[in-house]
Amino acid sequence: MADIFVAPKGKNKPLLNSKSHMPILSSFCENPKGVSFQTQKSDEFIALFLRSHFLTNLSWIAIAIALVFLPIVLGAFLSNASFSFLSTPQIIHFTIVFVLFYYLIVFSYVFLSFLGWFYNVFIVTTERILDIDYSDIVVHNMAETKLSHIEDVKYTQSGFIPSFINYGDLFAQTAGTEENFEALSIPKPRQATDIITELTGKK
Amino acid sequence: MDFNFINFIFSANLLIKLITLVVIFFYTIFTFVVFTQVKVMTQILSLPYAESTLKIISIIHIALAISLFFTAVVIL
Repeated sequence: MADIFVAPKGKNKPLLNSKSHMPILSSFCENPKGVSFQTQKSDEFIALFLRSHFLTNLSWIAIAIALVFLPIVLGAFLSNASFSFLSTPQIIHFTIVFVLFYYLIVFSYVFLSFLGWFYNVFIVTTERILDIDYSDIVVHNMAETKLSHIEDVKYTQSGFIPSFINYGDLFAQTAGTEENFEALSIPKPRQATDIITELTGKK
Repeated sequence: MDFNFINFIFSANLLIKLITLVVIFFYTIFTFVVFTQVKVMTQILSLPYAESTLKIISIIHIALAISLFFTAVVIL
């Protein structure tokens, strides 16, 4: 007789059986090795590490590339126009300083955009959920809630590109007046939802 | 008349120079804020290879801003 009520193999594997090496730009990592946070307890383990999919960075990368080439295009245009007043030593000195300053600002735009993505993380531990937000250079906040306070976990994946590349938004609803948690544009949202559901079910 | 015009050009030049230096000076302060923020974030969240890499990048950022400030002081 066929065993129809036998649990599928591998479904009940322990979540924290092995730690995995996390590449520096990873957006999804189960049981990451070498990751810790300030308020982590000694007996608390990180089960899931999430941040937005790397593709969400494409907009600022495209802007940065355009900004890098802008002075070159402008320079080529001005040299073709051959304005005589631009060739005075004083103007050349100012131009050098302004161009260097411009590239420094582009550099800081790239660096801050990268930090904004890099430090916007969503961590699920064996005890709680943490949402670390780094929205601005002077603004960062950290929200956390116990897994036992999580009432519902769901995800949405809408649009052609998110479905094709497999990323979406995850929402964890908490009890009462506590704030809800959301991890936006994360890779493998279904898998992440399953992991959180499994962890909350264990609690 | 010519003397006044030269005076005006000289003062305008000086004014632009001063404004440029002040802006770059504030930008240099901003790079220190970025460094501090990176330090805070690396304390809050420790990720493999991130701490040293990001701190080195922000120190390079500070060094570039300071270099630009002194370059501006010298050549403007």
